[in-house]
Amino acid sequence: MSTRILEVDGISKRFGGLQAVSPLSFHMAPGEILGLLGPNGAGKTTAFNMIAGALRTDTGAIRFNGRDIVGEKPWDICRLGIARTFQLSKPFGGLSVVENVMVGAFVRTASEMEARAEAEKVVDFLGLTAKACTDAEDLTAFDRRKLELGRALATGPRLLLMDEVVAGATPTEAQEMVALVRRVRDLGVSILIVEHVMKVIMGLSDRVIVLDYGKLIADGPPQQVVNQPDVLKAYFGERYVQVHA
Amino acid sequence: MRASFTLILGLPLLVAALILPFVVADSYVVHSAAMVLYFAYMASSWNFVCGYVGQVSLGHAAFSGIAGYASVLLFTGLGLSPWIGMILGGVLAAAISVPVGYATFRLKGPYFTLTSIAFAEIMRIWLENTDEFLGIPLKGAQGLTVPPVGGTSFLAFQFDGKLPYYFIILAMLVGVMAATHVMERSRLGFYLKAIRGNRDGAEALGIDPTRYCLTALALSAFLTGLGGAYYAQLFRYINPERNMGIDLSIDMAVMTIVGGQGTILGPTLGALVLHPVGEMVRASLGGHVLGLHLIIYGVVLMLAVLYFPKGIIAPLQRWLTPASKTTAPQTTVTVATPKEVEGR
Repeated sequence: MSTRILEVDGISKRFGGLQAVSPLSFHMAPGEILGLLGPNGAGKTTAFNMIAGALRTDTGAIRFNGRDIVGEKPWDICRLGIARTFQLSKPFGGLSVVENVMVGAFVRTASEMEARAEAEKVVDFLGLTAKACTDAEDLTAFDRRKLELGRALATGPRLLLMDEVVAGATPTEAQEMVALVRRVRDLGVSILIVEHVMKVIMGLSDRVIVLDYGKLIADGPPQQVVNQPDVLKAYFGERYVQVHA
Repeated sequence: MRASFTLILGLPLLVAALILPFVVADSYVVHSAAMVLYFAYMASSWNFVCGYVGQVSLGHAAFSGIAGYASVLLFTGLGLSPWIGMILGGVLAAAISVPVGYATFRLKGPYFTLTSIAFAEIMRIWLENTDEFLGIPLKGAQGLTVPPVGGTSFLAFQFDGKLPYYFIILAMLVGVMAATHVMERSRLGFYLKAIRGNRDGAEALGIDPTRYCLTALALSAFLTGLGGAYYAQLFRYINPERNMGIDLSIDMAVMTIVGGQGTILGPTLGALVLHPVGEMVRASLGGHVLGLHLIIYGVVLMLAVLYFPKGIIAPLQRWLTPASKTTAPQTTVTVATPKEVEGR
């Protein structure tokens, strides 16, 4: 149990006639950065939402530190120590940057003073101190994304689920985000990251798993996985694999 | 930042309210001013939940009616002081608000509003058509009168002049503002704003929206109930239409929206502008055009939404705190806030 912070055991989800995720199993070690890859519609976000409690699984179990969390509400899952970010970063309007982060910090304390102190630390960690008192809605898209990460971090997670962190970011911003995610891991947080941008995931992940049509097709170190024929086929199609074989 | 603005605008208003009855001793003026304060109080109570979670309830009058009836019946039936009846009535309103909120807070936007109307109207219509319930004389649409004890009795909530009533509602209004101020800075306040801003995001940060909305609703229902009981004592009379009709619910919502939702002073500003307008129109046109003040409300509401979408408090805030637009002073002021809180 101690070597597995997260165990996903045969979870699946069907939307009407579409089997979005076929029974899927994988696990994560503490402090690991696991990349979840797959082409569009592969079921990445569905799997992600099931772990975060936003979607109910049809079958299977999800164990966090050995405890089954299937059926728990999103807020209870957050309290247990799993935080998530969203693909679309929507800050809480009318609240400043630091106040947005305070909303996350209030999970661990009812005191406004303590929440503010904690939030200021997180804002500093993100490098947003200069903008701490700016209305969160006035932030640039990339700063919003960092704020989204900060809110999640303020809840004091052991496991962080990140959905498409560098989508739409410039290469410089992407680099900054990668560095930030590494620093989050150095705090002892395990990270499950869903990402399209191959370059980012290759450099960042300790291990990647690849989904295609809701099925797990690969699991291993990033360099090894991207050269597997199944993975190439899923991304580039049958002919690409034949030509380059 | 907001606290200092509230004081800049609020303190002069409070001073004016304190000296008004001594400058103009006319009892009609004092009574009218008390009514403005009453509406400011009711709108502030509505704002306590609706202004912060961004859901429009048009059923809040029911809480006023429940507590109003409870306080009057406890006084006439058991001889209990209306002060105690007021509190018990507020608690009853809060207790009833929880199951109602549990069912309706799952709904969003117009569906929430429609069910809130349905709830309040069912209560009102039931009360109007019920003369007696479990042996309690409700007297239907006729309403209940509060028997005079003769003269001034603090315990019986009965006073000879209008002045005591004026100061009681003024104190209540200051109280509800203080409660709103405390709520804004508490976890509850942050959570309500988070739920208003992005419900899914709030849930992912450990917030159970139903739980916190219900907490705020219960507090709001309690506060609204106190206002309902006050109203019954002021007029020594209560009936379903005046104390729990939809007009009252609409007044509470409209005054808050026009004044500025989710702010401490907004509802009071709304009442300060709208109630006198309504009264003047009503007085000058007499009974010729019934409901004209509601039409004026509609027009003022449309103008306010068009020109001041964040309420008439928004431009005032810009004029009175020009420093908040530049970045540097804003930072210092906001950082000073927790120390300020700690100091108290």
